Amino acid sequence: MILILLAFSCEQKPKAEPVTAKVTTPDTSNKQPIEIAVNPYAPVDISPMDMSYFPVDYPKIKMTNANIAPPVARLIYSRPHLQRRALFNGILKYDEPWRLGANEASEIDFYKTVTIQGKKVPPGRYIIYGIPHVDKWTIILNSNIDSWGLKQDSSKDTGRFEIPIATNGHSLEYFTMVFEKTATGADLVIAWADIVARLPIQF
Amino acid sequence: MIKNIFSFVIVLMTAFTASAQSGLPTVDQSPMDMCYYPVRYPNLKTQDKITEPLAARVIYSRPKKEGRAIFGGLVEYGKLWRLGANEATEIEFYKPAVIAGKKIAKGRYTLYAIVNEKSWTFIINKETDVWGSFKYSQAKDIVRTDVPVQALSEPVEFLTMVFEKENQNINLVVAWENVKVALPVSF
Repeated sequence: MILILLAFSCEQKPKAEPVTAKVTTPDTSNKQPIEIAVNPYAPVDISPMDMSYFPVDYPKIKMTNANIAPPVARLIYSRPHLQRRALFNGILKYDEPWRLGANEASEIDFYKTVTIQGKKVPPGRYIIYGIPHVDKWTIILNSNIDSWGLKQDSSKDTGRFEIPIATNGHSLEYFTMVFEKTATGADLVIAWADIVARLPIQF
Repeated sequence: MIKNIFSFVIVLMTAFTASAQSGLPTVDQSPMDMCYYPVRYPNLKTQDKITEPLAARVIYSRPKKEGRAIFGGLVEYGKLWRLGANEATEIEFYKPAVIAGKKIAKGRYTLYAIVNEKSWTFIINKETDVWGSFKYSQAKDIVRTDVPVQALSEPVEFLTMVFEKENQNINLVVAWENVKVALPVSF
């Protein structure tokens, strides 16, 4: 039986290998989008975009409740992954602004007025970026929307908030931002590698 | 085969472990993306190279062909399709737009399609922040328009949407598998 299995897997190998090599073995030194040769329009990003709503999964909830009130917030961001790199001294630098994502600036839409650290934030669209420090992060809302995530224009900052960081005991491969319900509103949870930061939002 | 099943189980275990460890969402199978008109507007804005004002943006998710028959198969002919995956596809106009002679106010809309072999029907609908096309209501349509299907010589693996300007005409181009369609938009 083992021999048969071995023979079978050997026989499979030449056929299976090219597919495996192409799809599941990322070459970490190669930052080029994998589809560049075959898609003349727009290759798929290495750091995929994603969106997070509050209430969490709002579009899904709306399927079963058509009369649901509008959402409170929506975040659109791209999700870089570690790819065996160290988060600090590999990807991020302490005390330097970071787009909290990849590619386009990360964007947050508030559908109603919210309060962050006592500051009222009017409804509308903002970009959100951060400055990671060794012991805390600064999270910044800025009015320069529809911009790329580099070279933030701090003259358009509309709010700066310092938040503590914690470690969560395991490593998260993909950068993740998601809302979590709290007694007074929701936390924006910002997590990557073993770091978690929470921005409390009241509404 | 056994090897494949084994790999599959490992992939599944990894996926579950990742989400069980953190309780945070895993990465989507069909990644989200956005496209602007003017094309690459955010890059241009950051480089101070804007030559015309911001007009439109589409946010959509990009399912992969993965060897499947797409049009007439996975995407059935004659049926409403979210033009993507997961959340319904969103189109936002930053100034008034015209599609098929219909004036559309600036704002966010949901974009659907009904795919057929020779033509597609694009639908702009005013219900936003929706998942898929499961609760679609025709009463909330702003405009419907039919466009012809064009054949592609090279197949496209991931659903792709991009604005293109040809002469003075702006099109939202949608390409997947071996077809492409173009939705004309004017501002």
